[in-house]
Amino acid sequence: MSDSERKTEPVSKRRRNFLIGSAMTGVVPVIGWAGQAQATTQAAPVDARAALNVALRVNGRLHQVQVDARMTLLDALREEIGLTGAKKGCDHGQCGACTVLVDGRRELACLTLAVAAQGREVVTIEGLAAPDGTLHPMQEAFVAQDAFQCGYCTPGQILSAISCVHEGHATSPDQVREYMSGNLCRCAAYPNIVAAVLQASQQMGD
Amino acid sequence: MTDTLFPAATGTMGQPERRYEAREKVTGSAAYASDVKLARTAHAYLVTSSIGRGRLQSFDLTAARALPGVIDILTHETIGDEIRQTPSIYGGGYMADTLRPLGSAEIAHWGQPVAMVVAETYEAAREAANLVVVSYAAEVAPVAGMGSSVATGQALDPMGFAVGDFDTAYRTANVTVDANYTTPAQHQNPMELFATQCVWEAGRLTVHEPSQYVNNVKFGLAAQLGLDPSRIRVISTYVGGAFGAKGFLTHRTALVAVAARRIGRPVKLVPTRAQGFTVSGYRAETRHHVQLAATQDGRLTALRHEGWEVTSRADTVAMGAVSMTARLYACPNITARVNVVAADRSTPGFMRAPGEMPYAFAMETALDELAHKLQMDPVALRRVNDTQTEPVGGLPYTSRSLMLCFDTAAAAFGWQGRPSEPATMRDGDWQVGWGCATAFYPTHAGNSAARVRLSADGRVHVESAGHELGQGMYTMMAQVAAEELGVPIAQVTVALGDTDLPPAVVAGGSSSTASVAPAIMAACDAIRRRLGIATGVPADVMPAMEASGLGTIEEFTEVRAHGTAPDSLRGLYRGMALPAGGVHLPDRVQFALGAQFVEVRVHRRTREIRVPRVIGAFAAGRIINPRTAHGQLVGGMIWGIGSALHEHSEIDTRNASYINANLADYLVPVNADVADVQAIMVEEEDRLVNRAGVKGVGEIGVVGVAAAISNAIFHATGIRVRDLPIRIEHLM
Ligand code: FES
Ligand code: FES
Repeated sequence: MSDSERKTEPVSKRRRNFLIGSAMTGVVPVIGWAGQAQATTQAAPVDARAALNVALRVNGRLHQVQVDARMTLLDALREEIGLTGAKKGCDHGQCGACTVLVDGRRELACLTLAVAAQGREVVTIEGLAAPDGTLHPMQEAFVAQDAFQCGYCTPGQILSAISCVHEGHATSPDQVREYMSGNLCRCAAYPNIVAAVLQASQQMGD
Repeated sequence: MTDTLFPAATGTMGQPERRYEAREKVTGSAAYASDVKLARTAHAYLVTSSIGRGRLQSFDLTAARALPGVIDILTHETIGDEIRQTPSIYGGGYMADTLRPLGSAEIAHWGQPVAMVVAETYEAAREAANLVVVSYAAEVAPVAGMGSSVATGQALDPMGFAVGDFDTAYRTANVTVDANYTTPAQHQNPMELFATQCVWEAGRLTVHEPSQYVNNVKFGLAAQLGLDPSRIRVISTYVGGAFGAKGFLTHRTALVAVAARRIGRPVKLVPTRAQGFTVSGYRAETRHHVQLAATQDGRLTALRHEGWEVTSRADTVAMGAVSMTARLYACPNITARVNVVAADRSTPGFMRAPGEMPYAFAMETALDELAHKLQMDPVALRRVNDTQTEPVGGLPYTSRSLMLCFDTAAAAFGWQGRPSEPATMRDGDWQVGWGCATAFYPTHAGNSAARVRLSADGRVHVESAGHELGQGMYTMMAQVAAEELGVPIAQVTVALGDTDLPPAVVAGGSSSTASVAPAIMAACDAIRRRLGIATGVPADVMPAMEASGLGTIEEFTEVRAHGTAPDSLRGLYRGMALPAGGVHLPDRVQFALGAQFVEVRVHRRTREIRVPRVIGAFAAGRIINPRTAHGQLVGGMIWGIGSALHEHSEIDTRNASYINANLADYLVPVNADVADVQAIMVEEEDRLVNRAGVKGVGEIGVVGVAAAISNAIFHATGIRVRDLPIRIEHLM
């Protein structure tokens, strides 16, 4: 860890407590169905490092997992639930590799605390294909247009692209370029990504 | 939008097959190194030096050790002598640099790993890393790079050469150019972080790590840990981009291996993006002095190219691509020199078109300056100096289709009728300019082995420890076997990226296909011979296979690349299969060549720079898969845009650190930076380079673009920018 990074880390206890507190506030409405007595951690002094039980609904399935309060949704998906399709490219909201859908909108899983994702619908790349294996039109378009090389940015690109279509931004190559620019592709498959998004947007009927 | 996305199969081009692993990559099931799930994994986090030069004075680990979940902390004091000092690849070893991981109290550069915390969770490891208190004794101020006044250049005489009499020819010439150019430090920044997972089972170590050379990691680790190499397996099934950053063994691997052995559990390390800036090598900053002289009709009479490159104190590393820029055009009087400037920085390494990009920027911009002085079309200048014989050693090119590339790309671009005077084309508030440059990349190949198994039911399995970096290795391997055995590609399965497989060359120097395809072809030949089928012509082997009554036939072959020593096959089995070729052959030179044309627009008032069009035409021998090759060439050209306008690792001279070690401040091209990028593949047959006739396309796309953009900006504005990246402030 360099000095410059150090500054960005929440190192003081007070700061951690603040983070936990606000995360807890966020989960209050879902305690009922999560089935865990989280409220007790609010009453007593907070142990910032105690594992928290959270229930995460991912790809239509409910997962009960124990997480560190500081754990991101990205790490919870990857390390706890075992869904490694969402990728870590920066952990700082700068690359888009971790993009997932939360309540139907694209969100950076590295900037979302796992506890804050309770009660929300998370869709990852693993949840896109039909149960019989039929690919989502966006996945199919990425294959057809060769919209990737190494494939590391691809799950994030595909989920972002689906949102891009739903948001109504897949109307022209320029629009797609603009609204897909939060997803870096170091292999620079950009022209093919644009072609894939435009192809899929027609099949998605938005 | 490109209109040549997926060129169809023709004479020297194979079928544009879809990617073998496409489904895995679009469904998230492709398991990259950090995706592999190991039972009871502990998580590691690096602590890296915040000073640029000095010594570690002491560690206070009290708070970190007291943190719940912390299992172990490695420092140079706690690690003992588990990791041996071994040479770098520049000294005949395996390491990306010569420093010993956690080897001493010496700090050689900012970002050097000084400790590694291992904990139950990633969060605990990160917090504990924050709690490690490191006291440093900074000595003198570090030399941060080329600009520091204390830095002195050192000539690398073996990289220099001369023919004819440059001085006299230059002095007596009609027209001359004399200019200096610079390029900045750059980082590969593959999207995938430098993850490593290690697990020990019964004294055997398995490493999951993204790698361009799994056998380098295996044999290098064996040397570092004093282990029999047969006890180490390295797996790299998918690599999330590499671009030279994952070629050779870095410090982290041995640290993770040692930590896993100490705690008796698998350990996973995913360094941060910022740490990635010093985990591996990078493209060092360069400076160039170019002098050209020509006759009135444009014939070069004198050419001098001298380069300076930053290196570390520990290792003398130079790309020295004067060996190429001096061989591109006919010229009787040539002088070339290379110097290094040692700085207190981590050891530089390879980054896509390592030396070719910066040296081409200098030479191809200088040629544009010459064309302008001569009032000559830049394409015509290349034409009068075109040659089939390189001018330094008088050796023949195995094939050279440079002017065919220029003519093809110029026609597609609509170059004809370009006004020669700069700052004459306008579109509303935008100044418009067109520029071009030559792209080149030396053709390499290395020794490789492959195993091919044909089953009676028509299934084929191909194995070689090559690497899938995104360039299309799986697909290429399947395609070559399918073609050679006459079976549908859907029946072929492929295994790669694993030291348990037949060894292959490092995936570097655009050499993977040129090296591994011939090995697969040779194995298929052996199968055909066993079935009594003639080789070298298309055939379906299945009728003979059925008639033979055999269940399976399996053949293993090794091929030795042209230019490698007869005993070099032993190196293949020691993680030492490095590419040969290019300009280092006694009998010939081998190059892929291309021509790149660019349109830029510079806003009259804001000086914003846009690149609406890039067209490149490339002659790179046989193209096995025009679909994946197209992706390589287009991606390379977009890297060229990045080099021209975006990428720059900015250095804080106080501690020789990188200020912008993150993806928000280290700018790489994003989708909105890229408009119409077209790659045209020119037919070329080269039967000499290797049996597959392949020259490789992984890097050439990058090479000329920065010069073409600089030349186009001059054409748009009349302002000549000789320093990369070109930014708004250069055009005020
Ligand atoms: S990993 Fe989340 S944006 Fe980069
Ligand atoms: S496909 Fe490699 S980063 Fe996008």
